[in-house]
Amino acid sequence: MTEKNKNTIEIRGFLQLDAFIKKNFGCMPLILELDKPISGIDLAKQLNISLDDVEVIFINGFVHDRGDLIHPGDRMAFLPPGCPGPYRIALGFYGKNQDNEANFKIKRDKDEE
Amino acid sequence: MNKFIRVNMTTMQVTTEAVPEKYIGLGGRALTSNFVNDEVKPTCHALGKNNKIIFAPGLLSGTTAPNSGRLSVGSKSPLTGTIKECNTGGLFSQKMAKMGIKALVIEGMPADDKFYIIKLDVNGVTIEESPSEILGGCGNYETIQILNEKYGSKVGMAITGPAGEYGLPSANISFKDPESNIRSAGRGGLGAVLGSKKVKAVIIDDTGAQPVPLVDPDKFRAASRVFAKALLDHPVAGQGLAAYGTDVLVNILNEAGGLPTNNFTEGRIDYNDLISGETMNATITERGGEGKVSHGCHPGCVIRCSQWYPDKKGKYITSGFEYETVWALGADAGIRDLDLIAYMDRAMDDVGVDSIEVSVAIATAMAGGLIPFGDGERALELIKEIAQPTPLARIIAGGCSIVGKLCGMFRVPVVKDQAIPAYDPRAVKGIGLTYATTTMGADHTAGYCISGNILKIGADLDPLKKDGQIEYARAMQIGTAAIDSTGMCLFVYFGIGDNPDGYQALIDMINAQYGLSLTATDVDKLGESVLKVERAFNKNAGFTNAHDRLPEFMEYEPVPPHNVVWDFTPEEIDEVYNF
Repeated sequence: MTEKNKNTIEIRGFLQLDAFIKKNFGCMPLILELDKPISGIDLAKQLNISLDDVEVIFINGFVHDRGDLIHPGDRMAFLPPGCPGPYRIALGFYGKNQDNEANFKIKRDKDEE
Repeated sequence: MNKFIRVNMTTMQVTTEAVPEKYIGLGGRALTSNFVNDEVKPTCHALGKNNKIIFAPGLLSGTTAPNSGRLSVGSKSPLTGTIKECNTGGLFSQKMAKMGIKALVIEGMPADDKFYIIKLDVNGVTIEESPSEILGGCGNYETIQILNEKYGSKVGMAITGPAGEYGLPSANISFKDPESNIRSAGRGGLGAVLGSKKVKAVIIDDTGAQPVPLVDPDKFRAASRVFAKALLDHPVAGQGLAAYGTDVLVNILNEAGGLPTNNFTEGRIDYNDLISGETMNATITERGGEGKVSHGCHPGCVIRCSQWYPDKKGKYITSGFEYETVWALGADAGIRDLDLIAYMDRAMDDVGVDSIEVSVAIATAMAGGLIPFGDGERALELIKEIAQPTPLARIIAGGCSIVGKLCGMFRVPVVKDQAIPAYDPRAVKGIGLTYATTTMGADHTAGYCISGNILKIGADLDPLKKDGQIEYARAMQIGTAAIDSTGMCLFVYFGIGDNPDGYQALIDMINAQYGLSLTATDVDKLGESVLKVERAFNKNAGFTNAHDRLPEFMEYEPVPPHNVVWDFTPEEIDEVYNF
């Protein structure tokens, strides 16, 4: 991020969230002003993204738990379940998804909905 | 499956034997690799008379088990000099299994320069001269149509394309799929081996064949239902791949900073939206016509990761339009046009070359100044020229390593002379370890399946750190070798890797078919044994641990955005095969 946009975040969505963001916000990436940190879960809710569609998030190229904080100036992306291959483990999704009943699957958490 | 067929191209003799006892319990890669280790002289020239090539269906091929139609092809590779197993979809494997053919071995070579067609049907095997119109540069799409007319549209085919006829190291073996399009046993140049035997095509006609016998049909059906449900319930196999294909990985690897770009000098592009799986899906949907976002490469596939990519008028261009091809041409070679990449994918299928090897070779040739960087039109011309071949096309089809040497480059992304695919080892270290150590040369599919207790390790894996990666790479290679022996598509593992019921169902199907009582431990042991056999062949061919190394530039050139280097020591790398 450059100096002029340090109070914004870059948001991307993959798989079905690619079409969702393009349709609802008309661009990719979506640039959003942010003045204080926000969790991936809260950001998803703010954008009307279903939590069922978020397995993990990327922050600045690193895989994070969806509850982790995004700070002003960050580049982030929402990743739904559906990434193929051994990359789920190799990229660290599995380690960031430990609250789910099965680590390769998304468990619906009614408390979050 | 009780027939073991040998075709001697020196004598033009065919022998059909009972399956040798030591191979009875083996299928797919386990069979091909054991056979190659047993019968191929490790130091032979891969295109000489002492090499052999073997086709083998998996243990479950020909049954109704979902996704069980993969065929293994084994030989010594002219690209790497190592043992090679590559596998493919299409119709061939299931037809072999239904005809009771455990293996087809082609050995020797004719004294003359004629090309031949081998035909298998329920009456036996025949060898006849190839029609002249499919030789000397005829594309594979046209060849399939000509052979369909000659032998019937329902036969299966394995074809030596133009690149194989010329003996080029990137030549694949092309297989007809259910719609008479093309699937490939892609890596390692086995099309050149088949071409060296002067075999233009192998035709298989299973008319009159009986269903594959099952020792316990009820148990098999029950296990098959559990297995299919495990696949379809999983978001990866049931939704992600079916909608977006493997090209869904463009955005993910790009975001992770592990998308090799501009000949492996960067790990991320800013035009990923032009070549992503999501864009591919949207384009196919918008164009309609013959386009399909989802398609199975063989009957019984329920994952359906393939697609039909159409042109602007809705006319089919290509299928099986994979992430690794799109990555190599789109990111590594900087060609920012998905349509153009699709035409290149089709052209590579048509001339019969490995789309990873040739695409990475193109990127290397661009970095070396042979082709303007990002010039997709010129690259497409060169691919088509492989059918002649022109001198430069011959060089490109020689593979990445040859191109790098001829351009005087040190930044040449190969291991054991095979091009590194699609995942930068510096930013995704576990896959880097597999690239370094696999018996096949750099191959992402050599480490695709999780075995044993890797999920416990996986909880702590960080792609940029070394912790746990040795155990990860070892377990993935063992699991993959086992699955490659079943005839199953590797992608089934996405649905059963974390699902004990699904994994057990896979084993139950094998047990029900053969009357066995294998356990998960037995399957792991099978994977280990396959790797040890392959390793033994390579050792006898002259390979040592010193060949299990990534290109040196990765040790001192950090790859952005994470600015990391490859930092495993030789001793650490060698631990992967310490089992």
